[in-house]
Amino acid sequence: MKKALFLLFLFSLSSHAEDNKLKLLKISYLKNMFGHIHQNASASSTSLTTLSCGHPIKIYEVTDRRGKKFSIFGGRFVYASAGNYYGYIQTDFLVDKKPKCFQAKYPKFFDALNLEITDLFYWGKLYDQYSYGKSTVR
Amino acid sequence: MKKLILLITLITSSFAFSQSQENVPAVMNDDKNVPDKEKTLEEKKMELVNFDKIKEVLKEDQLLDEANRKKSKVSNKGKKRIDWNQRRYNIPKEDEFWDFLSELWLVKRATQLKWDFEKPAYGIDSSFKEFLEKMGIYEVSFKILVVNSPKVFHMALPSRQHKIFILSLPFIRTMDLSKSEINLLLLEDFKRLESGVFINKLKSSKMLSQLGSNFYKKKFNNAHIDELLKMYDQIAFEKGFNFQEQFGVTQQMDIHLKSDLKEWGKYYNLLQKIDDLVKNNALFRDYNKIYPSPELQMNWLKPKSKKI
Repeated sequence: MKKALFLLFLFSLSSHAEDNKLKLLKISYLKNMFGHIHQNASASSTSLTTLSCGHPIKIYEVTDRRGKKFSIFGGRFVYASAGNYYGYIQTDFLVDKKPKCFQAKYPKFFDALNLEITDLFYWGKLYDQYSYGKSTVR
Repeated sequence: MKKLILLITLITSSFAFSQSQENVPAVMNDDKNVPDKEKTLEEKKMELVNFDKIKEVLKEDQLLDEANRKKSKVSNKGKKRIDWNQRRYNIPKEDEFWDFLSELWLVKRATQLKWDFEKPAYGIDSSFKEFLEKMGIYEVSFKILVVNSPKVFHMALPSRQHKIFILSLPFIRTMDLSKSEINLLLLEDFKRLESGVFINKLKSSKMLSQLGSNFYKKKFNNAHIDELLKMYDQIAFEKGFNFQEQFGVTQQMDIHLKSDLKEWGKYYNLLQKIDDLVKNNALFRDYNKIYPSPELQMNWLKPKSKKI
């Protein structure tokens, strides 16, 4: 029940984010090969647009009608915009400095692969579907 | 008089070029004869002003050093431009290539592997992280992809920077695997990846000899990449690994887990569990083709009895 309420709360936040006040926090860049701006703060939510590595993305702080401020949604998403698309993207996929992207490093090799639009779409989805981890010295 | 001629030459050349701004696109086109980046304004100027022809005049006016400095500056710029153009045709080295290719394979086989589905957070990532640390394996960055297909079981794909693992959800569900059992399967895959048996199977590909090279003014043969992807298919879906490779991995697991007999016991029981599944469930009969065979692995693990 609590989970359902929390989900409902998240949904209400995400669906009304456009009505709320937005404050630009910073400009970040996509560090993965490809990525998606999602409609809601969920990896399985509809993709609004596919971005390629190094694309600048505006990150916002959202203030709701009651004056409550939010910068992180669902634990790992931020409210962002790229071009005319406003939605959610995982914060782990972003960096503050323009990254050295594979596509930019090997542009002609990448072009030679003749990837289709569906490939680029799935490549972005792939990063949403992975579970990430790193073992470290305790 | 000579000085005047020189001055006029310099002024007219600089004036002529000051009118045309550098509206050069960063990349022109794919025509092999046309460089990707055009000559800079200074380079174009240098083509008009030939300092060699007026060397004597320059010497007299003590301008030779200045002319040489300008010449070398422009020549450096030219070299940089050519280098930049050529670098764009670089083919990635091994350390970047495998991560890229494994992801390309996952993307191209998305419909077969069925990884694009809504899934809950299974917690495999944090559990495997803790397990690696417990086993003394540090600084290993990994990505786990849960697929909704019985076509593959569990596998580590060639990768260097972030180890890429795939895990079949139908396989986990049918086996009713616990997190600690999944950790052991992933560790086995990790050992297989570290021993390079997957990459060794791809060594015959023509693409590998091209890694780290450059295809400037040459045609890149895309078929080599397709060939590699087909080799991935063969390993993941059909041929898998041979007895020798399995023996090597099992021995490595044996050595590593001996220090923690509880884990060693779990691994042995896991192999027994897989063996039962493979023998009784037709859907997973191919497991033996990919990883031969859990029964043999158990035999290899059994301590050898010494005859007195």
